[in-house]
Amino acid sequence: MENANLLEIKNLTKSFGELNVLNGIDFTVMQGERIFVIGPSGSGKSTLLRCLNCMEDPTTGEIWFNGENLADLKVDINKHRRQIGMVFQQFNLFNNKTVLQNITLAPTYLRKKDQNKIKTANFFKKIANLFRKNKKELAPTISAKQITEEENERAMKLLKRIGLEDKANAYPSTLSGGQKQRIAIVRSLAMNPKVMLFDEPTSALDPEMVGEVLQLMKDVADEGMTMVVVTHEMGFAREAATRVLFMDEGLIKEDGTPEQVFDSPRDERLQEFLSKVL
Amino acid sequence: MDWANKINKFLDTMSSEHYQKLLLTGLWTTVKIAILGLLIGIVIGTIIATVKVSPKYKLLPRILDKICTVYVAIFRGTPIAVQLLLAYYVLLPMMGVKGVPAVNVGIVVFGLNSGAYVSEIMRSGLNSVDVGQMEAGRSVGLGYGTTMLKIIIPQAIKNILPTIGNEFISLIKETSVLSFIAVSDLYVALIQHVAAVKYEWVIPYIVLALIYFVLVLIITLLIRILEKILAKNDRTKGKPKRKKQLVS
Ligand SMILES: Nc1ncnc2c1ncn2[C@@H]1O[C@H](COP(=O)(O)OP(=O)(O)OP(=O)(O)O)[C@@H](O)[C@H]1O
Ligand SMILES: [Mg+2]
Repeated sequence: MENANLLEIKNLTKSFGELNVLNGIDFTVMQGERIFVIGPSGSGKSTLLRCLNCMEDPTTGEIWFNGENLADLKVDINKHRRQIGMVFQQFNLFNNKTVLQNITLAPTYLRKKDQNKIKTANFFKKIANLFRKNKKELAPTISAKQITEEENERAMKLLKRIGLEDKANAYPSTLSGGQKQRIAIVRSLAMNPKVMLFDEPTSALDPEMVGEVLQLMKDVADEGMTMVVVTHEMGFAREAATRVLFMDEGLIKEDGTPEQVFDSPRDERLQEFLSKVL
Repeated sequence: MDWANKINKFLDTMSSEHYQKLLLTGLWTTVKIAILGLLIGIVIGTIIATVKVSPKYKLLPRILDKICTVYVAIFRGTPIAVQLLLAYYVLLPMMGVKGVPAVNVGIVVFGLNSGAYVSEIMRSGLNSVDVGQMEAGRSVGLGYGTTMLKIIIPQAIKNILPTIGNEFISLIKETSVLSFIAVSDLYVALIQHVAAVKYEWVIPYIVLALIYFVLVLIITLLIRILEKILAKNDRTKGKPKRKKQLVS
């Protein structure tokens, strides 16, 4: 599976009414890549990221993931989103859920839903088996209780990993920004995603909390997670990226290794941009 | 005015167990219809509000949206007394339904009516929840409906609790029109039965006002307590309560 194409974006455009925000984006995300997207404000970075899991529906173009085109409205997008983690600038933890529930809610619910489908299928198989000579085997199932226990255990492990197990029963409103964002990252991890999208994960944080979030992102990266990260943290991009995309006016103007992009930029706008932010 | 005489007449009537029971039953009927009406109203209001705030690319949501608009317009555009009379004396007989207790008609009409009002409250509640909450739910693969049910609606209800309390209070007060369809509520018990015994209405009217007033006071208090509990839950659920420090 090494070097397999995970996400393939083909001629992606997005307009909001008259405003053309993305003007034909092409790139491929390979397994294990860490793609950092940089560019001036309003260049369409967030829009691009949000199109990747169809949080915004693309206007035209294709997004290939798991052998299906996500831009096709007939695709069951929920199924694919389970494998595309997303981390938001504003954390977006579920305010009415405890920290633990924030992490377990989706995996527990979705696994139970899957199990219910299997159980229903089994039920019909059982009935059909009454009339069959060669009985068909039933699919294995697990109980709802077991799923809850497994997910709680997994979530506690994840919380331990970020040193927040004592916050398991706290509500998001009692946490610091850094804690919220780390929990949001862990919430995504709990889904076992194939790729994770980060939209300026540290931009809403107090400076002293940026470090802890970046550290967690590094740890996740070291485990081989495929990532697409929109950020204004150029130092972090240079350090953690395997590839950097520079966006301007809804186009990818430059695409290369961190060294290429930061040390010998070719595009004029990129040179101008770097001179401002570095 | 001969107050002593009037009060005596009232107390005299009320000393009979029959009238005490009548009054309590009337009181209970009033409260029951308001509570059940509100519950039905919350369910209907939530459904309407959800339809209203949902995206409308497809045909079905658009049709539902129109139906909800008409529904709200009808129930907000006519007095509840008229709705009660229409339901009880026109609609049910027209449909050939007989023998439905007036109380049940009251509950349903109050529910339908309050649904129209709650839907507006609920809509503002749903809009008050940050869009990031929906996006977060969708991003982990939950469907629109699931995210609504588990994340958005609970937060919306919490935000609008004080306003829902107000709706409950107006419902309680509006129940006095139930006498139009001869439901034995608080008003009927006091004014049509108790007062009629001695043809003395002054004290019963004052008592009626007092009872409504106290009812509303109690409800206001209960809502305050509920709000406090919810706010506290938010911050410390599952955490041991910190002991108050005596020495600082
Ligand atoms: N939902 C929307 N409706 C209308 N216009 C939008 C919407 N979302 C984004 N835009 C517009 O699209 C353009 C690109 O926005 P986008 O958020 O993708 O930029 P960005 O590169 O992420 O900028 P920043 O660095 O400031 O986050 C902006 O002009 C923005 O106003
Ligand atoms: Mg952005």
